[in-house]
Amino acid sequence: MTFNPLEQRGIPLDRQLRNWRELDVEPLDPDHCDPYTRCRVITMNGIEVEAILFSHHLSRNTVDPDVKRQLARTRYIEAQQQKVVNWLLPGTSSVLETTIAYEQVAVDLTAWVARMEPDPYLKQAYQFGVLEDFDHLYRYANLYEMIEHRKAESIVDDLTEVMPGRPTKYHHRDPVDNVRDPYDKARVDPLSRLHALTIMSAEQQTMNFYMNTGPTYMEPIARQLYQEIGLIEEEHVTHYESLVDPGETWWEQLVNHEYNECYLYHSFMEQESDPKVKAIWELHLNMELEHLHTACDLMRTFDGRDPQEILAPQLPNVLTFEPNKAYLRELLDTQIDLTTLGAGYVREAHERFEQMQAGIHGGEEPPSERVMAQHQEMFGREYRLETEGEHPDSRLREK
Amino acid sequence: MSESKSESGIRTPQAGDDRAPDDDVVGLLMRQHGDIRNLFDEVERSTGDARRDAFHRLVRLLAVHETAEEEVVHPVARRAFPGGEEIVADRLAEEHGAKEALSVLDGMDTDDPRFLPLLLDLRGDVQRHARAEERYEFTHLRRSADPARLSAMAKGVKAAEAMAPTRPHPGAESAAANVALGPVAALVDRTKDAVRKAMKG
Repeated sequence: MTFNPLEQRGIPLDRQLRNWRELDVEPLDPDHCDPYTRCRVITMNGIEVEAILFSHHLSRNTVDPDVKRQLARTRYIEAQQQKVVNWLLPGTSSVLETTIAYEQVAVDLTAWVARMEPDPYLKQAYQFGVLEDFDHLYRYANLYEMIEHRKAESIVDDLTEVMPGRPTKYHHRDPVDNVRDPYDKARVDPLSRLHALTIMSAEQQTMNFYMNTGPTYMEPIARQLYQEIGLIEEEHVTHYESLVDPGETWWEQLVNHEYNECYLYHSFMEQESDPKVKAIWELHLNMELEHLHTACDLMRTFDGRDPQEILAPQLPNVLTFEPNKAYLRELLDTQIDLTTLGAGYVREAHERFEQMQAGIHGGEEPPSERVMAQHQEMFGREYRLETEGEHPDSRLREK
Repeated sequence: MSESKSESGIRTPQAGDDRAPDDDVVGLLMRQHGDIRNLFDEVERSTGDARRDAFHRLVRLLAVHETAEEEVVHPVARRAFPGGEEIVADRLAEEHGAKEALSVLDGMDTDDPRFLPLLLDLRGDVQRHARAEERYEFTHLRRSADPARLSAMAKGVKAAEAMAPTRPHPGAESAAANVALGPVAALVDRTKDAVRKAMKG
């Protein structure tokens, strides 16, 4: 289906405000919802949080008070959208339960984007990153069984496998090696811009979530694991944000943000299985269309350029949450041993990597290893969910 | 045959049956909350005799778990921190509601078409109650009780839990065999005795 958001009108901005009753959404049932509905909720929350934060930064860099007011109007509506979306998460879920859902998002969203990304350098960046999120899912799943006696498959179903990826302890790289080369805004496929923004936003939300909820745990191993993986999420934000061409103007970036929100709400509306949630995606799409038109007007005014120059003529193929098991197994088989060196990827543990490793581990096993040892001690086994056979890498099979 | 559908083929042992040191009553109770949730899954996913058996185990685990909390945890929480009395009163009100829902379900055939919707309501109530305990009662308990106290309390809860195995009894998959285990009220009495004995020892 072709859908060009530039040619559609939505709900006028002055009719987008919702009252308390409309904001008070009914949360998902944590034990019976479609796991990918929860993934879409978590993704859109990350997207709305980025929309709000980006708009605040833009506002801080804006001199004209009328423009500041214009930004504030849209941003307030975006803050309401964020509340409606994130408040779909139920209060009966624990932080750890939600964390496992965040990692399912990171795995299946990043894997899908890697599959669809047309640019080989960008594709490699997603392939590299997804194997780390995959390992985080495995570590948190083991922590979850220790603390709550629940298996991660009660959250992810059999949609996403849970087994080792690139071991978490090797994710701690020298910060300079986390900076990638950006795409070239003059030549990049419009789809690549959307991918980069989506993954950056999702990882940024994950970073924020872990840095704020980690210390709510009392169990020492839980506090420590959130600290470790929280630091890696910062590396991931650095990794993905550096893919975006810094030469894009503020207004161009604003248009990209709004266009991406239209793309994602449209995508999720197309595939949503929960009718109440689908109605929210549809409503928000109709709001975003107006936010997009406002952003396009600002770009025309301040950059003197037509947004059509940077946008695709129609929305790309819908971004889809679906199992990526075979794809992930192929990556596990071929890319586990990679690390970064400068803006590229290598297989050897180079000097700067070794220095960072020695510095952060301080001669001890990190929390991501200790959680597995403690789990082993408690249950005499690991927790894994291998629905498609044994681990493709023989070194990572359960002993 | 009453095994729940398990993608990983892994079964999480019941709290007390894993190798955790169980020297902290809060950690132990949180794991038991997970065990209860696992049993709800098992009841929902099974049918016929398997569902009947899983439901009986759920009823017994809930009874034993709540009895242990009433005997061991709430008395300490009442005195351990300011507002403890009120927090415990809220929890008891939730427990009372759940018990009423449970007694309605307990008298019903598990194949009755009304069974599953009522079970789902109960599950929601139990889950809200469990999280409320974890957030408003257990947090204070861990903060205000010393490790020796938490460890002694864990002993009492473990003694209670031994009264309600979550695993099917071998050869006890029929409703008749479960009835032979005795009514819930007698189980509650036995649990109280076991807890008091363990707490004295």
